[in-house]
Amino acid sequence: MIAWLTYVVVGLSLVHCLGAIWYAARDRLIDDRLLLVAALLELALVVLLVTGLLGLGHIDDSAERATFIAYLVSLPVIPPGTAFLAIKEKSRWAMGSIAVGAFAVGVMSVRLLQIWMSYD
Amino acid sequence: MTEPTPGPDGVDPAARPDGTDRRALGGPGVLLVVVYGVLALAATGRSVLQITEYFSRAPLSYVLSAFAALVYVLATWCLARGGAWVRVGIAACAVELVGVLVVGLASVVAASAFPDKTVWSHFGQGYGFVPLVLPVLGLLWFRRVEKAAVSPQRVRGGAPG
Repeated sequence: MIAWLTYVVVGLSLVHCLGAIWYAARDRLIDDRLLLVAALLELALVVLLVTGLLGLGHIDDSAERATFIAYLVSLPVIPPGTAFLAIKEKSRWAMGSIAVGAFAVGVMSVRLLQIWMSYD
Repeated sequence: MTEPTPGPDGVDPAARPDGTDRRALGGPGVLLVVVYGVLALAATGRSVLQITEYFSRAPLSYVLSAFAALVYVLATWCLARGGAWVRVGIAACAVELVGVLVVGLASVVAASAFPDKTVWSHFGQGYGFVPLVLPVLGLLWFRRVEKAAVSPQRVRGGAPG
């Protein structure tokens, strides 16, 4: 469950990241289409959060569990945060910030999965 | 909060001719806010859990982690607010740079003092060396904001468009 959910999150974050880079390159600002991708990513992250919290017992080591929870809770904050910034700051740089945020989401979810997999 | 809208000439109204507004957000600053924000978020969350769940395991590491997390939160705030916060932000970035260098070196030389990793251990290796690069970028950006406030003719945040 966690594994394929993470793959969905990584896929969506990649689409979100590349989409934002594309927008920045063409000097386009955030629109409904990019917001929709952000919303889908957010939905996947919330599902991941709930699933992860329910399965916390899977991770034995408390230090690893701390990192896992911290990332799990931090992740859903990022897409709305960058979308908010992009709506406030109508600039190409704001589209870059969406790309950076989406990239961070991808990296952090892979890290999550690594922790999870090490207890299989 | 009233949000300035870009003028018809595309010039950011934050760069007012009187030079009083030293708003940091805008241009590349928005990128830094996101990176700092993500790091602050992850570091704070982890730190809170470390301290509440098993503080006795590695007190020095966890106190340092908490301190680092607080400085990241402060730096994020300063980047987003700008204005009078620019000075505070410069101090925060300087503390981060010193912290990552000192703790990074200490974690290599005296590894036994750090049974668990901090954000700054091994020069931020656990976070892809982002903690090492970030304060340098932060300092460069704050300096630029300061300069732009002194000479408002200079376009901040690179060429528009």
